[in-house]
Amino acid sequence: MEAIKEESDKGQDFIKKIETDLMDNVLTYVMDPEIEIDIVNLGLIYELKFDGSNTVDIVMTMSTPACPLSDAIVQNVRESIMHKYTNFVVNVDVVFEPAWHSGLITEEGKEMLGM
Amino acid sequence: MNGLQTANAPSSKIVVPHFIVGGISFLAVAILLLISNAELLTAYFDNRLIAITHIAVLGWASMMAFGALYQLIPVVYETSLYSEKLAVVTFGLFTISIVLLPYSFWIGSYTNLLFYTSLLMFFSLLLFIINLHLTYRKNNKPNIQSKFINTGIYWLAATELLGTIIALNFKYNFLSETHLHYLKIHAHLGMIGWFLLLIMGASSILIPMFMISHNLNAKKLTYAYYFINAALLAISIDWLFMQTNVGVYIYWMLFVAGIGFFLSYVYEAYSTRLRRKLDVGLKYTVIAIAALVLPLLTAAYLIIEGETTLFILRMSSFYGFSIIFGVISMLILGQTYKTLPFIVWLDKYQPYVGKFKTPVPRELYSEKIADYQFYSYLLAISLIAVGILIKLPIILLVGSILLIIAALLNLINLMKMVMHKTKLEDFPTRK
Repeated sequence: MEAIKEESDKGQDFIKKIETDLMDNVLTYVMDPEIEIDIVNLGLIYELKFDGSNTVDIVMTMSTPACPLSDAIVQNVRESIMHKYTNFVVNVDVVFEPAWHSGLITEEGKEMLGM
Repeated sequence: MNGLQTANAPSSKIVVPHFIVGGISFLAVAILLLISNAELLTAYFDNRLIAITHIAVLGWASMMAFGALYQLIPVVYETSLYSEKLAVVTFGLFTISIVLLPYSFWIGSYTNLLFYTSLLMFFSLLLFIINLHLTYRKNNKPNIQSKFINTGIYWLAATELLGTIIALNFKYNFLSETHLHYLKIHAHLGMIGWFLLLIMGASSILIPMFMISHNLNAKKLTYAYYFINAALLAISIDWLFMQTNVGVYIYWMLFVAGIGFFLSYVYEAYSTRLRRKLDVGLKYTVIAIAALVLPLLTAAYLIIEGETTLFILRMSSFYGFSIIFGVISMLILGQTYKTLPFIVWLDKYQPYVGKFKTPVPRELYSEKIADYQFYSYLLAISLIAVGILIKLPIILLVGSILLIIAALLNLINLMKMVMHKTKLEDFPTRK
C-alpha cells in the first residue's frame, strides 16, 4: 500500500513538474504580438493540465474576442510546447466565459503595461 | 463577437495594394495642394480644389478604408468576404477611376470627360457596395458595429448616386437647382454618411481592443447610430426637397447628440484603458476623435452667420478641411500603424510562430519615421488651417511643404512594411 502511494506521489510530482515547466519556461515566451506581453503574465491561461503521459489540455482566452491575432497566438502555444516536448499532443480550447479582466494580470504584467 | 476570425481573413494580396495606392494618393494630394495653394483662399468649388478633394476622399481615404475593411470584415461581420475576385476587379476599376475622375475636374472637362469617368467611378463603387452588402447578408448576428459599417456603405451608395447625377447634369442639364446646391448634399452624405459612420463602427471595435478597455456602455453607440442617421436623413430630405431654414438647427443638435454619445463612448474606453502608454497609432486616433468637435463648431458658426462673404467661403473650406484632414486622414494615418503591420506580420510569420523567434509587428516599420511623420503632419494641418482662416499665403506654403514631408514619410514606412523580408532566428536557449 505504501509503495503504491509513493508511486502515485511520484506521478503527481512529475505532472506538477511538467505543468510548472510549461507555464514558467515555455508559455512565458509566447507573446501577444500586439500588447507585447507574454500570455502567462497577461493572465490568458485559465487552465493547463498534463495527463502524465503525452497530452496537454489548455483552456485559455484572449484579451478581446475581436483579437485578429488569436489564431497566431494559439498556434504559438501549440508549437512552443511541441518544440520542447516533441511527442506531446496539445489541445487548446479558447473560451470567452468567464471574460478576461485586468485582475488576471500578474504584478509583473501590470508593470509591463505601465499600470 | 466570438473571435478567432483569422481564418476568414482575405489574402493579403488583396488588402495590401489598397494601402500602397492610398499612400501614393495621399502624397499626390499633398503635392497638388502645394501647387494649388492660392485656390485654398478662394472658394471650395474651384476646379482644382474639387479635383484634390476627390483624390483625398476617394484615392486616399476610401482606398485605405476599402483595404482595412476587407481585413476587418471577418472580425466585425464574423464571416469571410463574399467574393475576393470581385474585390480584385473593384480595386482595378477604382484605381483607374481615381486617376481619371479628378483629372476631369482638374482640366474642367465637365461636359465631356467627366460624363465617362463618373460612370466608371459609379460602377467601381457599386461593385464594392454589392460585395460588402452580400457579405453583411451572410452575417447571422449583426451587432451595432456591423450596423454602423453597413449603413455607412449604403450612404456611400447614396453619395455616389448623387455625385453621378450631378456629373450627368453638366451634360444634360435636367436638375432644378444649381450644381452647388447638390454638391453640398453630396459632400455631407459622403463625409458624414460614409466616413463618419465607418469611423464610428470601426473605431468602436479597434479603440477598446488596442487600449485594452472592457465593459464599455454599448448603448451609447446605439444612441449615436440613431441620432446621426436621423439627422443625416432629415437634412438630406430637407435640402433636396423642402429647403427650410429652421430645420438645420434641429439637425445640428441631432448631430451634436450623436457625436456626443460616440465621444462619451471613446472617452470611457480611454479613461478605463489598461494600456496607459499610447503608441503613435493611438495618438493619431485620439486626436482624430477629439477633432470631431471642430466641424461641429464650424458648422454652428456657418449656420448662425448665414450670409455668404469671402470669409464664410474660407470658413466653408476650413469646415471641409477639418473633416478630411483633422478627422478622416488623421484616423487613417493612425490606424495604418495599427492594421498594416499585423496584416504583413500574419502573412510573413504565421507559419513560423512557435518554431522560430519572430519580430513583433511593431518592428516592421520605423518608429522614428512614424514619430517625425506624426509631428510634421500635426504642424502641417495646423498651419494650413490657420493659413486658410487668416488668409496668409506664406503659412499655407509652409504647411503644404510640411504636408508633403508627412505624406512622404508615411509612404516610406508603408513601403518598409510592404517590402518586409521574413527574418527568422532560433529561439534563445530555454531552460
